[in-house]
Amino acid sequence: MEYIIHLAILVGIYLILAQSFNLTIGLGRMFNLAHVASYALGAYVTALASTELEMGFGRCLISSALVSGLFAILLGGIALRLAGDYFAIGTLAFASIVSALLINWKSVTKGVLGIPGIPRPEIGGVALYDNLQFGYVVGVLVIVSLTVLYFVFSSPFGRVLRGQAEDQLAMMALGRDVRLINTLGFFIASAFAGVAGALFAYYINYIDPSSFSFSEMVFLVTIVVVGSPGSFWGCVVATFFLVLLPEPLRFVDLPSSILGPMRQLLHSIVLLSVVWFNRAKLFPAQREV
Amino acid sequence: MLEVSDLHLKIGDALILNGVSFSAQAGDSIGIIGPNGSGKTTLFNCLSGFVLPFQGSVSLRGENITHTPPYLRAELGVGRVFQSFGIFREMTVLENLVVALESRAGVLRTFFPWSTTSRMIRAQAKEFAAQVKLDGKLSQRAGMLSGGQMRLLEIVRALAFGAEVFLLDEPTAGVSPKMKDEVAALISHVQTLGKTTLIIEHDINFVQSFSKRVLVLDQGRVILDDSPENVRKNDLLREIYFGK
Ligand SMILES: Nc1ncnc2c1ncn2[C@@H]1O[C@H](COP(=O)(O)OP(=O)(O)OP(=O)(O)O)[C@@H](O)[C@H]1O
Ligand SMILES: [Mg+2]
Repeated sequence: MEYIIHLAILVGIYLILAQSFNLTIGLGRMFNLAHVASYALGAYVTALASTELEMGFGRCLISSALVSGLFAILLGGIALRLAGDYFAIGTLAFASIVSALLINWKSVTKGVLGIPGIPRPEIGGVALYDNLQFGYVVGVLVIVSLTVLYFVFSSPFGRVLRGQAEDQLAMMALGRDVRLINTLGFFIASAFAGVAGALFAYYINYIDPSSFSFSEMVFLVTIVVVGSPGSFWGCVVATFFLVLLPEPLRFVDLPSSILGPMRQLLHSIVLLSVVWFNRAKLFPAQREV
Repeated sequence: MLEVSDLHLKIGDALILNGVSFSAQAGDSIGIIGPNGSGKTTLFNCLSGFVLPFQGSVSLRGENITHTPPYLRAELGVGRVFQSFGIFREMTVLENLVVALESRAGVLRTFFPWSTTSRMIRAQAKEFAAQVKLDGKLSQRAGMLSGGQMRLLEIVRALAFGAEVFLLDEPTAGVSPKMKDEVAALISHVQTLGKTTLIIEHDINFVQSFSKRVLVLDQGRVILDDSPENVRKNDLLREIYFGK
């Protein structure tokens, strides 16, 4: 039972993380490689705020969302000025800066040692050390987050994101400030990544930079691609599928040093095969102006 | 209505517009012709605000918009129909119109999909689709339409958005002969609504049927600005198209 609750919480965190990523990369076709950096920022903000500052649950969540969101505005302000492939490289540069900070700014982040002893949130004076109770809280937040994101996906705002992905000039000629809307999309996506990060930190009580490595980024790309970029429900199904996919491996008698790489290998194989079979759709021929 | 004066524009090191000036009154219809690469599309891009001139100015209803960003110009009434089709192919026909109407209505009034405005927008979008006989294809992906239908959709979308000045860049390119008439009819309809239209076209006969005035562009300059009849007669035209 503990195991099932554990999986449910994990799926929940990834539902928020992947769907928010889907907003930028899937709907807006902005190849943002810094989403995991937003996630990491959210996790670290909550880790530090709850241990050093003893801040409560609500405040930690909001701080994580805001810090990650502001990070996205900074990132968007710079990277959105870069065209095409340079955009991805720009976001990658930001992601590297964040991971370098996590590792090297030891006085705050404690470097590779990470931050231990993150307390579970307290609600009504009771700390949620019981995973089932914590799971309920995660469940509520997942439902709230996905509802908001669904609303964003199907709103006029979402339509503009989708349209500018196809043709920015045409969208501007229809009176839309594409730069502003993309930045806002970035902000929303990143803020939700921050929330996911906060939940992650609370859940495992200990975070270090290894949880936010580049392979995590690859995993998110895999989820969005498998779910078909821009598809809300596709992303939901793909999250369940891919988070749970490597789980049966646990029951095979393998040492954990092999298990980790096996998990990544499995995800990479899935990503490669989906990209291969959908290559025409994922990388359509460029249109001329 | 539209005052263009002495536009000079470079792309990289190449001088693409070399002193373009003309003006259009409200309701005017002006044809623009010129050889490939003479700067016609670039002129439109400059009027839409996608590229900026290093010298010269553009003003709309007396307001200087030379450096106004594209989305604000659109709000001021500059509409655009692109040479390479500016419809959103991944969206449905209905959504292509909805996106324009929502932009016009603004963020606040369209925030909730169940609002009255949002419902009205859907109804209006259907009416606009019906104007170009696309009401049977509302939920079809716009990319599945024929060239002619895409063009009709794009023009009617600019109309739905509320454009006052229509910049039509080769509206009949990629359109079957049969559909050309429908595109022509729609442009006439736009004109009868009192809109100002600038039409880039290679076919001078087509231009003549719409415009009392034709600009001839060559190497980034307006070399003729006259009635279609006089332009036809002018030797300069033959020269730039066929050489001396
Ligand atoms: N983005 C660009 N980069 C470099 N050169 C450009 C660019 N856009 C246009 N040009 C050049 O500017 C010149 C004018 O191009 P423009 O598209 O305005 O011509 P046009 O009159 O619309 O031609 P056509 O009849 O073929 O549509 C051409 O020589 C073209 O090569
Ligand atoms: Mg052109």
